[in-house]
Amino acid sequence: MNLLEMNHIRKTFDDLEVIKDISLSVKEGEILSIIGPSGSGKSTLLRCATMLEEIDGGEILYMGERAAWMEGKKACHPGKAQMKRLQEYFGLVFQSFNLFPHYSVMKNLTDAPINIQKRNKEEVYREARELLAKMGLEDKEDAYPCQLSGGQCQRVAIARALALNPKIMFFDEPTSALDPELTGEVLKVIRSLADLHITMVIVTHEMSFAREISDRVIFMDKGVVALEGTPEEVFTSSHNRMQEFLGKFRQH
Amino acid sequence: MKKKLISMMLTAVMAFSLLAGCGAKEEAEPEAQENTAQADKEQAEEPAEQEESSEEKTTFTVGFDAEYPPYGYMDENGEYTGFDLELAQAVCDLEGWELVKTPISWDSKDMELESGTIDCIWNGFTMNGREDDYTWSDPYVDNSQVMVVAENSGIETFDDLAGKVVGVQAASAALQLLQDEEGQKALADTFGALQEFADYNSAFVELQAGSVQAVAMDIGVAQYQIKTRGEGFKIMDEKLNSEKYAIGFKLGNEELRDKVNADLQTLLADGTFDELAEKYELSDMVCLEAK
Amino acid sequence: MEFSVMLGQLAEGMVKSIGIFALTLLFSLPLGLLVSFGRMAKNRVISTVFKIYISIMRGTPLMLQLLVVFYGPFYLFGANIGGMYRFIAIILGFSLNYAAYFAEIYRSGIESMPRGQYEAAKVLGYNGRQTFLKIILPQVIKRILPAVTNEVITLVKDTSLAFALAYMEMFTVAKQIAAANTTFMPFVVAGVFYYVFNLLVAVVMEAIEKKLNYYH
Repeated sequence: MNLLEMNHIRKTFDDLEVIKDISLSVKEGEILSIIGPSGSGKSTLLRCATMLEEIDGGEILYMGERAAWMEGKKACHPGKAQMKRLQEYFGLVFQSFNLFPHYSVMKNLTDAPINIQKRNKEEVYREARELLAKMGLEDKEDAYPCQLSGGQCQRVAIARALALNPKIMFFDEPTSALDPELTGEVLKVIRSLADLHITMVIVTHEMSFAREISDRVIFMDKGVVALEGTPEEVFTSSHNRMQEFLGKFRQH
Repeated sequence: MKKKLISMMLTAVMAFSLLAGCGAKEEAEPEAQENTAQADKEQAEEPAEQEESSEEKTTFTVGFDAEYPPYGYMDENGEYTGFDLELAQAVCDLEGWELVKTPISWDSKDMELESGTIDCIWNGFTMNGREDDYTWSDPYVDNSQVMVVAENSGIETFDDLAGKVVGVQAASAALQLLQDEEGQKALADTFGALQEFADYNSAFVELQAGSVQAVAMDIGVAQYQIKTRGEGFKIMDEKLNSEKYAIGFKLGNEELRDKVNADLQTLLADGTFDELAEKYELSDMVCLEAK
Repeated sequence: MEFSVMLGQLAEGMVKSIGIFALTLLFSLPLGLLVSFGRMAKNRVISTVFKIYISIMRGTPLMLQLLVVFYGPFYLFGANIGGMYRFIAIILGFSLNYAAYFAEIYRSGIESMPRGQYEAAKVLGYNGRQTFLKIILPQVIKRILPAVTNEVITLVKDTSLAFALAYMEMFTVAKQIAAANTTFMPFVVAGVFYYVFNLLVAVVMEAIEKKLNYYH
């Protein structure tokens, strides 16, 4: 079964159509990278999938259940309880981390599982410690986000999303806000998640990373899916815009 | 969530206005006046807001300016006292009322009286010029408005005040007089400036400091101030006018006024009135006439 | 007047001043938050109503507002405003006025919060109420603390305006003693009192700020 299915998604800001009829699906265990020039609509697509933006057309399904659809011109969602359940299917890592600055690292990880999911405290703490260890942050549980480097913050943010045990993880340009020397540690963590076969959708500008890690790559341009296929197919394509896009990267 | 917040908010606002409302609601109805002796006299003009006609009156609330010695002020022990307040106490003793001394902000004395939070203004209250605004008791102190100047100032007559800065208490009878076309406005116009003060303390300090050259006030106040402050000040011979103090009741409240008038007569007859006048060194000024 | 008697009298007024201060904070701090919600409401009618409320409260003298709150019920409805209402009117007037100032402070704090905090909370499953109470409000409080301190210090000094309703708070008592004794001594004592009171307020607020300084 497809974990995520997005059918004929449209999104406009004022008069600008940012996403023009995009459909995509993600299977369990699959790693999908979305690449493309700035303004091509990659991030918006991710924000639609996580329901931070309302869609203007199409429908979104998680595990076959509808999470968003259109009724006339209005986007609709299921009732509160069902929506809460659907929301637990996915986690999102932001470009700018968005950690809660007034919470310690530990509390950032455990507050939602304990107080929102109402899970057993001890179990949550144990899992959180395991996650932090996996992120190489075992000594930081009492630190506050302001005491951490950008790379450490992003790793905490990833752990925070994972603490809710999502079935699919979205990454919205997870290394774009980091100094170049810090991107490596974050990519390493994501790579380790790939080894665990966690389903992931990654919007990124790290071309070699995308090529290496992905099962499938989507190249978006001007609000549409211009290319889709295995990393090999996409990166070696003779598609005009793709060549142009990759060319810009090589110049950096 | 928005909706919940809004409803919470509205509840809070309503609770506040209710709170405001209920303090206000009890016994808001004006009761019909049951005039006895003088039913035909003045009943027509006043539809009556005396609350006390049916119930037995037990308290007598006097509004006064607690910064107005010797008529009303705070004494050595921190109690409110003064000629007027002791006189009011004597009236209450006669009637069996409990005296409630309510210091008021002089600027809002009319609102206090009208809204019924006080029964009368009894505090060196000048009746001249305000004859039609209150229901007045018999005048009991003859009080002139005078000018106080520094002894060595060389100011002898009103003509010398031309171009000088003159102080006066805000909302006082002296100020009213100096602003009245038929009063002393012509004189006031010759001043360099008319400076209003909130209290006499600051007025005298400025007089001493020379930033004002004269202060207009009641003669009683002037005598008290000069006595307690010692040498250095004098009252000018020329007077602004001659005025009388009386007790001001809410317009139309003849019933209470008549009671107090009768009691004043009793106090005059048994000597209490003159004793008090002597105690506060007002013997030269009292003017209550026996009827 | 004996100095000790004077101090006793002033102390009585002091208790009343502190009473006004404490009750005003107690009511106006939560009320201000509600007003700020009204001010930020999506509904145009509601937000306009609260905008006007804030504008009037900030645009007219507090003393005038006190007079309106106290005498208003009588002049509008002929209501009896004796007894306890004098004190209620003072607390009501102060609270309504300070709520308007606090509302704008809350609003500035809430609007300065980055959208990412709301989005992160949403994705983690917090509902609107949880987001506000657990994520937004604690950070807002830290941000607005210096502005709140300013208002609180102003409030200490504003308590003397209760004299407009003939309430015998500290400064009124000082003026009366000064008048009866033709001395400025009570004002000196009053000045020391206000200064010490505000010093305490500053110390307390600084301690709270320090306590919240574990992050930035």
